[in-house]
Amino acid sequence: MEEKKKKKNEFEFCKVCRFHHDHGPRHKYFPRHKELLSAFLNRFRSKIADVRFFLKNPSFLRPQEESQNRVWCVFCDEDIVELGSSFACSKAINHFASSEHHKNVKQFLWKHGPSMDCVDDFKISDADLAKWVRKCTALGNRDASSCKGQLSGTSSDILNNLEFERTEQVQTNYINPNDLNDVKPLLYNNTNEYQISHSGVTHYGSHLNVDASHLPPGVIGMTSSSSSHSSDSIGNVHSGAPPPWLNPNAGSSYSGQLNQTDMTGVQENMPAKTSKLNPHRVGAAWAERRKIEMEMEKRGLASSSSNTDADWLPNFGRVWQSGTRKDSRKEFEKEKRKLVVKTVSRSTESEERKLVKTESVSMESEEPVQIQPYVSKRARREKSGE
Amino acid sequence: MESILLPTLTKKEEIDRIINNTIDKVLVLRFGRLSDENCLLLDDILEKSARDVSKFATVALVDVDSDQVQVYVNYFDITLFPSTIFFFNAHHMKLDSGTADHTKWVGKFHEKQDFIDVVEVIFRGAMKGKMIVHCPLPPERIPKYQLLYKDV
Repeated sequence: MEEKKKKKNEFEFCKVCRFHHDHGPRHKYFPRHKELLSAFLNRFRSKIADVRFFLKNPSFLRPQEESQNRVWCVFCDEDIVELGSSFACSKAINHFASSEHHKNVKQFLWKHGPSMDCVDDFKISDADLAKWVRKCTALGNRDASSCKGQLSGTSSDILNNLEFERTEQVQTNYINPNDLNDVKPLLYNNTNEYQISHSGVTHYGSHLNVDASHLPPGVIGMTSSSSSHSSDSIGNVHSGAPPPWLNPNAGSSYSGQLNQTDMTGVQENMPAKTSKLNPHRVGAAWAERRKIEMEMEKRGLASSSSNTDADWLPNFGRVWQSGTRKDSRKEFEKEKRKLVVKTVSRSTESEERKLVKTESVSMESEEPVQIQPYVSKRARREKSGE
Repeated sequence: MESILLPTLTKKEEIDRIINNTIDKVLVLRFGRLSDENCLLLDDILEKSARDVSKFATVALVDVDSDQVQVYVNYFDITLFPSTIFFFNAHHMKLDSGTADHTKWVGKFHEKQDFIDVVEVIFRGAMKGKMIVHCPLPPERIPKYQLLYKDV
């Protein structure tokens, strides 16, 4: 008995809970798993609901919207991309109606779900599919006649022209195989019919992908006209128009605009940046003045004389100086002047008294530095008192 | 041997120019001579960190043996080498590192990060309008020296 209880299960990955577990088949009854599964299935249900909408109301799929119509089927673990399909979600509808998908759904629910009653939610029945196909063809035929007039008025679109020529020749031919496809599913047995129609549809789909000329006229005409309408003014690869980045007019205007924006940007940047910087920061006033000066220098208005002043000294607080920084600068300049005087006096003295050597008085400091140890007031008082 | 990345200044005009042209960034001026071992170590750290602080600081080296620079050596009271002086918008920034001289940093830095920390603190203080900032480094990382007043 104990051995049975301790039976070890291998680790397997639960797609719903997204972790590895060794619970074995018991895992699907765990409450957390049930919660996650219901959330998981709800998400997919909403996706299927979108697809079902198109099942009931088939509409044409424009090439530019193809990328938005991707669906990931969680049961089959594959991505359904609407490449070259004429109707919205056509591939998805076909996939969800396929027998393979049904099998996968059953398998998934058997493995993960405690109950199998929601299988039908994720399938599209054959009857629905048949209805959809009929609606599509009806839609295609209806619009083919209406858009014929439109086609005649389109631009110098090479693809369009080709299609237009072919549509007139081929239109009658193509309607018949379509009808055959439609008729077959209704006559034959369910499974057989399904596979035939499925293969027929996929064959049809592959034609859609591979060869533009074999496409049903109404449909492609519609899509191409829609695309041509969008690219009418600009021109496109098929019409032989140059790409926008090589277009000389656009390029020059763009660069011109760029220059203007650059200049304005630079001019605007300066005040913008300063407004962000703290106005109370060290040397703010100096920085503003300097920026203006530099700007003027850039433009050529000469005001660079102030920078080349040989006697300019930065704002510096000296080590042995108490008082403000201006005081320290003044003191330094005083010392400098004395040094200059000293050297001048030395040179004049040497000129006058070449024979007699005299020592120059050191004028490094006005008062000679008296270095004395510090004596406290009390000590001084005591000393004086003594 | 000149450093590849950092400009070496030998004239007063050059120093003036760099002070005047560094706007809203900390200017780090190292005064030293290349024959000094401490100076070389400091230069190494400065070169390595120059890029990291480039957004808010500019680093330059001043050769102290040049004649034209002596006026600044006197003005800044530089007696020990290498000495590093910090400027912000042509105003001198003081650094209280617990040593006798707050006007400059004397000696080398222990590592790159120390230098970057010091420059950052100076920048932050300057942006707030403080002309003296407190050094963020622990005392063991700050080089100690004796400051003598007129050789006393």
